[in-house]
Amino acid sequence: MSGQAPLVNIRNLVKHFGPVAAVDDVSLQVGEGEFLTFLGSSGSGKTTTLFIVAGFEDPTGGDVEIDGRSVLSVKPNERNIGMVFQRYTLFPHMTVAQNVGFPLMVRRRPKAEIDKAVKDMLDLVQLGAYAGRKPSELSGGQQQRVALARALVYKPRILLMDEPLAALDKRLREDIQQEIRRIHRELGVTILYVTHDQEEALRMSDRIAVFSHGKIAQIGSGADLYERPADAFVAGFIGNSNFLQGSVVQSQQDQVAVRLDDGTVIRGNTRHPIATNARVRLMIRPERLTLTPSNDQHDQSLDVTLSDTTYLGDMLQHEVVTAWQQRITVRTNDHAAAASGNALKLHFASTDVMVFEDSSRATA
Amino acid sequence: MLLNLNRMGPGRYVLYAIGVLTALFLLLPVVFIAALSFGSSQWLQFPPPGWTLKWYAAIFNDPRWMDSIWTSVKVAFTVMVLSIVLGLPAAFALVRGKFPGRTVLHAFFISPMIVPVIILAIALYAFVLKFGLNGTFIAFVAAHLIIALPFSVICIVNSLEGFDESTEKAAIVCGATKAEAIFRVTLPAIRLGIFSAALFSFLASWDEVVLGIFMASPILQTLPVKMWTTLRQDLTPVIASVSTLLIALTIVIMIITAFLRRRYAR
Repeated sequence: MSGQAPLVNIRNLVKHFGPVAAVDDVSLQVGEGEFLTFLGSSGSGKTTTLFIVAGFEDPTGGDVEIDGRSVLSVKPNERNIGMVFQRYTLFPHMTVAQNVGFPLMVRRRPKAEIDKAVKDMLDLVQLGAYAGRKPSELSGGQQQRVALARALVYKPRILLMDEPLAALDKRLREDIQQEIRRIHRELGVTILYVTHDQEEALRMSDRIAVFSHGKIAQIGSGADLYERPADAFVAGFIGNSNFLQGSVVQSQQDQVAVRLDDGTVIRGNTRHPIATNARVRLMIRPERLTLTPSNDQHDQSLDVTLSDTTYLGDMLQHEVVTAWQQRITVRTNDHAAAASGNALKLHFASTDVMVFEDSSRATA
Repeated sequence: MLLNLNRMGPGRYVLYAIGVLTALFLLLPVVFIAALSFGSSQWLQFPPPGWTLKWYAAIFNDPRWMDSIWTSVKVAFTVMVLSIVLGLPAAFALVRGKFPGRTVLHAFFISPMIVPVIILAIALYAFVLKFGLNGTFIAFVAAHLIIALPFSVICIVNSLEGFDESTEKAAIVCGATKAEAIFRVTLPAIRLGIFSAALFSFLASWDEVVLGIFMASPILQTLPVKMWTTLRQDLTPVIASVSTLLIALTIVIMIITAFLRRRYAR
């Protein structure tokens, strides 16, 4: 993306529904061929942003540019954008082939060209044998694949997907995720994908924009969001996380020492400088914690009591409780640690501890 | 299943009996009238002393009966077309519209079903008289349209509510204009509702008698009105024949409907 002009440029987008700001000053750029996911809970503004790009909603403010030109005055049917919806939107009275051919039919393309393109697209989504079926004779997963073929048959440069897999069960969802990834690679189409499923976002996207209350909380690769979350909200939203409360006793650029409520001092990292004595939240991923027997003397550790262990197949998940009765989740494949008794020591590597200033947006 | 016939023991025969009696109650008058229409007795004697087709011949040879049938067909067909032409946009407004008073308007469209027909008839009669339209084709159509429209609006509103607007949006994203999307996608998708609306509108006009009596003139009568006036003069088996023809027509329409539904409901 660097140097090259973005294909889609969303600038300071605002959308009010009455007094509510559904989209509140969203700006982002999408590069040609990129797979960008809008991740957020319902009401976070992700779908509204997508619908503004599609042309079904008019923004209250801001602009959407495609190829450097504002598209706000372009009708949705003239934007030449593909879209797959959350609900099944195949035309019920048409066959699969007629559905896929519809965009070309309304473009008045010759029949031979339509037939060829329909066949190619159905082969791409591996439904060539279903051309003559009616949508009601297909499963949900097949219907969404036909919808995908229909959205791609006119070779749009941008494909919008609004939670296309939300109605499918987990196994099927993973199959179709793979298929969408494959098609993205094969066609090089730019995809804007909306989901509330962080696993789906991590699995599929080049970059993820995390939406919260109409704003983008953070935009970056999956690894960025997981390893270097911008705030406690993103940290809590992406992956599993443990939060501890404390106040800063020492602060030096991105290194801070935090005193927990029982007096233990833990060192960690921060993205923004934090003043001494500020109330903060410490975040640490369950798989980055280690447990040892309690007689082990060590820095950066807490005395905890083991309350529960769950066998997850590839890992063990321990629930431990601190002296002040806060539960912390630990994931490990070290089967020995917990065998030594209920009184344990919980260790924090300072590089794995993220420190965030306490804010009202934070969630546990 | 909550009610399992095999597990009910002798109690199920009670159910059978109720089922058969209900069917008889509904069907016997129809069977009775059909039998009478082929009976040779001029006094509607039952069981008929002999069999004949002369009452049917009487209908087809009497221009007054044929005129009234033709009037009924013309009125019902016009009502059917207008009922769709008016009901379809009304249904779109009621389902898709975002304006205050939408639910009130919806109730208003349904209200002719609730107002007693006789009150409608008197009001319409006064209205039509004022404009000198009594006894005209227009008056018949206007009167029947009032009772047909609620059926049309209800049928189309129901099917439109069952149609996901995202599907229309999908057609638009695909490159179709709004009008193309509606004509190529939405209307075909809700055609069963439109078809039902047309059918109910036709039948609402076809068997309407109260409004018809008020709108009729000696020279312009619908079939039910002609039947009514004939009955008041004398009780002839011709009435039974006309009734039987009407019943036959209804059965044919029901069979066609069932056939089309099975074919398109997929």
